[in-house]
Amino acid sequence: MAPIPHTLIPFLQSQSQNTLTRLYQLPSSCLSIYRLLGPLERQLVMSLLWLESSVPPSVMAGWVIREGKQLYEGALSTLSRLHIISSPVGKLALNSTFKTSFRQAITGSGTSGSFGVPAEPDDKHPPLAVEGLDGYALERWETILHYMVSSGTGQSPTKPSTGVLYLLQRSGLMISHRGSPLQITSAGFQFLLHSPHDQLWDLLLQYLHMAEERKMDLVEVLSFLFMLSTMQLGREYSTENLGVSQKAMLEDLRDYGLIWQRRPTSKRFSPTRLATTLTSSSPPLPTAAGTSTGPQDGFIVLETNYRIYAYTDNPLKTAVLNLFVSLKYRFPNLVVGSITRDSVKKALNNGITADQIISYLISHAHPQMRKNNPLLPVTVQDQIRLWELERNRLKSAEGYLYTSFTSQADYELVLNYAKELDVVLWENKAKRCFFGSLHLLPITPALKDV
Amino acid sequence: MDDENGSHLSVVIDLSPAQWHSSAQPPPDNPYPLPLSIFLAQLLTFLNAHIASKHENTLAVFGAFPGKSVMLYSSTDPPPQTQVIDANSYPPFKLVDSTIVTRVMEEFDEQAEITDEAPNSLVSALAKALCYVNRVTLPTTTTSSKQAEGRDPTILPDPRILVLSVSPDLSTSYIPIMNAIFSAQKLKVTIDVCQVYGPESVFLQQAAHLTGGSYIFLERRDALLQYLIMSFLSPPSIRKILSVPTQDKIDFRAACFCHKNIVDIGFVCSVCLSIFCQPVPVCSTCRTKFPMKTLQRLNAARPMLPASTASPSRAASSAPQARPSTTPATPKTNGSSAAPPGGLPHSGTIGNGTARTASANESGV
Repeated sequence: MAPIPHTLIPFLQSQSQNTLTRLYQLPSSCLSIYRLLGPLERQLVMSLLWLESSVPPSVMAGWVIREGKQLYEGALSTLSRLHIISSPVGKLALNSTFKTSFRQAITGSGTSGSFGVPAEPDDKHPPLAVEGLDGYALERWETILHYMVSSGTGQSPTKPSTGVLYLLQRSGLMISHRGSPLQITSAGFQFLLHSPHDQLWDLLLQYLHMAEERKMDLVEVLSFLFMLSTMQLGREYSTENLGVSQKAMLEDLRDYGLIWQRRPTSKRFSPTRLATTLTSSSPPLPTAAGTSTGPQDGFIVLETNYRIYAYTDNPLKTAVLNLFVSLKYRFPNLVVGSITRDSVKKALNNGITADQIISYLISHAHPQMRKNNPLLPVTVQDQIRLWELERNRLKSAEGYLYTSFTSQADYELVLNYAKELDVVLWENKAKRCFFGSLHLLPITPALKDV
Repeated sequence: MDDENGSHLSVVIDLSPAQWHSSAQPPPDNPYPLPLSIFLAQLLTFLNAHIASKHENTLAVFGAFPGKSVMLYSSTDPPPQTQVIDANSYPPFKLVDSTIVTRVMEEFDEQAEITDEAPNSLVSALAKALCYVNRVTLPTTTTSSKQAEGRDPTILPDPRILVLSVSPDLSTSYIPIMNAIFSAQKLKVTIDVCQVYGPESVFLQQAAHLTGGSYIFLERRDALLQYLIMSFLSPPSIRKILSVPTQDKIDFRAACFCHKNIVDIGFVCSVCLSIFCQPVPVCSTCRTKFPMKTLQRLNAARPMLPASTASPSRAASSAPQARPSTTPATPKTNGSSAAPPGGLPHSGTIGNGTARTASANESGV
């Protein structure tokens, strides 16, 4: 029942109170973090925002019905771990920095300039139109994904910049064996089947971890991301007021397709749709307005005979499908293949799970498929799951083999003790040995006494 | 619990100049004065809070002026952005605030030239809000029925309307307001009401009750923003776990169709369920004639206590309203020929309202 928090929330929770308080000094960061919170947490923040004094917890708890108590407690603890709610003995109040900045964000006051300083209009170079930005972002993003998916297949797609490659390697999505070209890992395969919004945040989260090591100021990095998410698409902003770390980020974000600059040295930048939708949950990512033809929202038709028809000419989509479908023929706007035991096994070996395959098929199903209930043919779904189960006939467990007991009594004593601890995985009375998941050595002195 | 797609909020603001003037009067007669400027500032903050909650949240604002209602802002067709971006404020907030303030000022300037004050058009603003909700939800529902059920990301889940009223009830608006309530029920729109100034509103109480919204009579007008945020900010999906205030006492009285008075005891046409404050020989809505005998008996029964009334089994006789509260008034209708002419409430639906009307207020006589 409890909603899954946004991927960034745990990262923020792991930060020190000092870092967070510095982050909360900026209204735009407060607004973006507020948007990442769950619905109940948002309501709590809003309820407390305009109160001057703190509230006894019992009063606040009165606003929640009894069945919602658990959710309410969860929301409170999330907020206090983010240091948004400071709870000095028995009182509830918002962190004063957060309160001031968020009030400024809502009322549009203050002088922090945290929502981005717009660049002076330039008559010679009008800002790039929204379509141009979308095309740019899409091209950048698909380059990264396409590079990942086609690594090791012998093709050589355009390489993303070294910064991107390093990030992919660092995040464990790709791996290089002793100088050989990068190979996609099983985490990378799973990554490909995520929604673009999740993919973006996965990478940015890695970027944040990396920023710490690169001695970049984490607060600057985070606040720049949040600033981007509150900017207007199709506008140009000035780089004048950015910090040192933020200027360094421009280059990286340009590679990911989050921002666009006319020249690397340009004093102005435009955020793309990838950046401005960072804090929205439904992903109106550029793929929705992409360059490929055919229906954008869904393109896959799956039949009960395991045949799959994908109405697309996008090489990336085809390559992703190729992960778990054995493709048969290609037409200008259509790819036909079938899901076979071998093709699914290949995907499973790559670390992709059956659920991921199924959810990918569901989220990219053709509008015609949506007439069906259930959406995917049950036979195919079941078969994919069965193929996955086939691999799980053996289960491995780590442990220790206890053997060469001198007497039956010794054996039984240790075995009974191990059974009490519930660590016995296998036993064989005839051979006087058993296999336990726990190392029992530390208890041997106690045994000596017996 | 999931509000993945954001929610829609339509706000109907009552902008009757006379009422706002008296609302701004200083304390002796008016313990908590609330001038329009402060009201607007707090309302804009509330609207910003709504947009802040979710990137996908949509907003429409309607203003009810005397004799005129206008749409002040709508996020689906925003005004052209000519404004300069201010580095200190989130552009969408700025857009909402400036648009609403300019539009309100324009309308007031226009109003200044009209001398005679027309009745307030809160109902027409409410109707516009409903039409708007219908418009933004309709295209997606038709495509989605062609596709699978649900799962269309563009459907607005639980749209709601917030009415901020300052005027007393206008009894002439009973029928349109009931119609609005029934269409809101059909559209699954929740109507929330905040009576900011003036007496309790009977009709708006019913509107909130019948659509599952909450009605709040603002006692501390200086705390308007806190009231708005605590009670009206959360979308209906979250309200399941919040104890949003609901009214414990609802005034279910109806207005009669003949003189537009709010009545405690009314007389209901057994054919089309129109309400009258006195027995009439011919129903003005469906032209049904009632026998003289029934009229005489009803007239004779009028001043007395309502317990001794004619049996409802005679379909042609007008059903007296004062029946025990447990049995709602559902007289047999005489076939479809009795359909009311256009513009009047649908018989079946208006009946629901009136049946409770009488039962809730027997003791009031």
